[in-house]
Amino acid sequence: MRVLVVEDEEKLRNQLKQRLVSEGYSVDVATDGEEGLYFAEEYPFDVAVIDLGLPKLSGIELIRSVRNQQIIFPILILTARDNWQDKVEGLEVGGDDYLVKPFNMEELLARLNALLRRSAGFASPQITWGPIAINTAQQQATLQGNEVLLTAYEYKVLEYLMLHAGKVISKSELTEHIYDQDFDRDSNVLEVFIRRLRRKFDPDGELNPIETLRGRGYRFNQLQPPA
Amino acid sequence: MRSIQSRLLLAASVVLALFLGVGALALDRAFKDSAESALEIQLTQQVYALLGAANTDPQGRMRLPESLPDPRLASPDSGLYVQVVGEQDSYKWHSPSSVGRSFPAFKAIPPGTPRFEFIAADPPFYLLSYSLLWEDDAGHEISYFFSVAESAAGLNVRVAVFRRTILLWLGGAAILLLLMQGAVLRWGMRPLREVAEDLRMIETGEQERLNGPYPRELNKLTDGINSLIEHNTASRDRYRHRLGDLAHSLKTPLAVLQGAGEGDDPELLREAISEQIPRMNEIIQYQLKSAAVAGRVAFAQATPLRPILDRLLNTLDKVYRDKAITWRCQIDPEQLFPGEPGDLLECLGNVLENAYKYAKSRIEISIKVDEKQDIQRLSLCIADDGPGIPVEVRERVLRRGERADQQMPGQGIGLSVASGIVHLYGGKLEIAESAWGGALILIHMEN
Repeated sequence: MRVLVVEDEEKLRNQLKQRLVSEGYSVDVATDGEEGLYFAEEYPFDVAVIDLGLPKLSGIELIRSVRNQQIIFPILILTARDNWQDKVEGLEVGGDDYLVKPFNMEELLARLNALLRRSAGFASPQITWGPIAINTAQQQATLQGNEVLLTAYEYKVLEYLMLHAGKVISKSELTEHIYDQDFDRDSNVLEVFIRRLRRKFDPDGELNPIETLRGRGYRFNQLQPPA
Repeated sequence: MRSIQSRLLLAASVVLALFLGVGALALDRAFKDSAESALEIQLTQQVYALLGAANTDPQGRMRLPESLPDPRLASPDSGLYVQVVGEQDSYKWHSPSSVGRSFPAFKAIPPGTPRFEFIAADPPFYLLSYSLLWEDDAGHEISYFFSVAESAAGLNVRVAVFRRTILLWLGGAAILLLLMQGAVLRWGMRPLREVAEDLRMIETGEQERLNGPYPRELNKLTDGINSLIEHNTASRDRYRHRLGDLAHSLKTPLAVLQGAGEGDDPELLREAISEQIPRMNEIIQYQLKSAAVAGRVAFAQATPLRPILDRLLNTLDKVYRDKAITWRCQIDPEQLFPGEPGDLLECLGNVLENAYKYAKSRIEISIKVDEKQDIQRLSLCIADDGPGIPVEVRERVLRRGERADQQMPGQGIGLSVASGIVHLYGGKLEIAESAWGGALILIHMEN
């Protein structure tokens, strides 16, 4: 999942980036509102963390501009000012949730997770298609209830495909959402991840959870639980 | 025009000018009308005098004498001229004064009815026309037409003299009235100048409030200003007090951290940090929020309740979307609640967030209004179906964050802040149990 962090305080920005990367997110950071807007317009993010007190363009203005351009990724508002006027205004212009500074990093991760899940239309962090399940809060994958060990990138690919099950996801879309902009991308690596995921979740080739559509991309099939 | 005095003076001058102008015009008109009507009577009497002096010729026809009743008729250019024309006997007579003058052609008028008119010739004059029927000895009726003209110069001179007099008197009266008006205004505005001077003294710190006495009409204004000044002073004191409290209450956790930092045990330091940071955060939140509340202002402001509740409910619905809370808000859109909008948003935001956080699925908001002797008692009720707040902790929940040595991790300080705001408005926040067994928050206020 690709997340945009717009925060002007350098230390907090770095802490956020570090922690989110270690949690398996691809993170792009912006230091002010204008840069944040540029990023939001240019790249396909899955979620954004936006501080309200930003230089150049305030957080409120940034969220308003983003929403005016019909960009719909969920937004978590960070605010140092714990008053309802700011919270209500932030949520009214298009924020989806808020967190008051100082915050607990675990709390931020849980909120981000909930936002991502909600935006994909799932009510619970547990996403199950047939025998395959992931828990987006714990970043765990299971096959028939048994945990399957995955690398961070394998998990990212699987999570994105499962959250968008039934839809055709092009290689470029998948690349955009699992890598941040500084990453040296190689689409061959994606094929390697898909191959490994198939081997781990469908060793016998019976389930065919991830379908390759030649020239179009991949599709995670909405598998039904065994009767 | 920024001065009330200048405005009033200008308005009064315009009204005065209009009034005196119209008055002068009316007087002028009336004088001229009266002078003309006097002239008409005078000229009619000339006709009767001539008739009285008239003789008859052997046939019994009317003939005017050589010597005339008014000496002006005898001297040329005297200003009074007469012409008499007999229609059937071709008799034509004019007074010696009218030698070399021509009279306008006689217009037919009924006998015995004089007609008076102004003739705008050069020079202008007034003309009285009169006709009568005369029976001669043979019994024939002869029509005689009298034209009596008087130069307008005399009347014009009288009107001009009258106008000069009027102008002099009315002008004098206007100047006198304006001077009086100015003096009255200065006298009437003196209390306002005194208030301004008193305010200047408050600004420079020479006095603390408007002491008066001021006229009755200004009492509401000066009382309002005094209340504002008091509110301002109270706010300043509250800020100072809260900042003092804040600094003081932060010292305990800081001391704990310092102590842990000076020790050698990194685990102890870690523990101290994770314990003290939420505590410090709670203290800062409580003290700053309490300081920022506007509190009861001078003009007990009331705010429509429904728009504030709707904004908060929409916002919280978004944040707690996963819980799918069903709320019912039985509050009239017109219902007012005492409090400044920012304070109400803050207070109700904290109460409603608590309800959303702990409710299983339902929240109900209602209001009870009790009116007695001009005092409106309002009780806003916010009920949820959550676990509720046990009786023994209710008091502590409302005082959380207030004292630095009271440490209660876990739940926030929302209700305590809300209670503090309600308290500043002279109201009371109460925790009870809802019909569903959850929390019921009651906010009692007086309007």
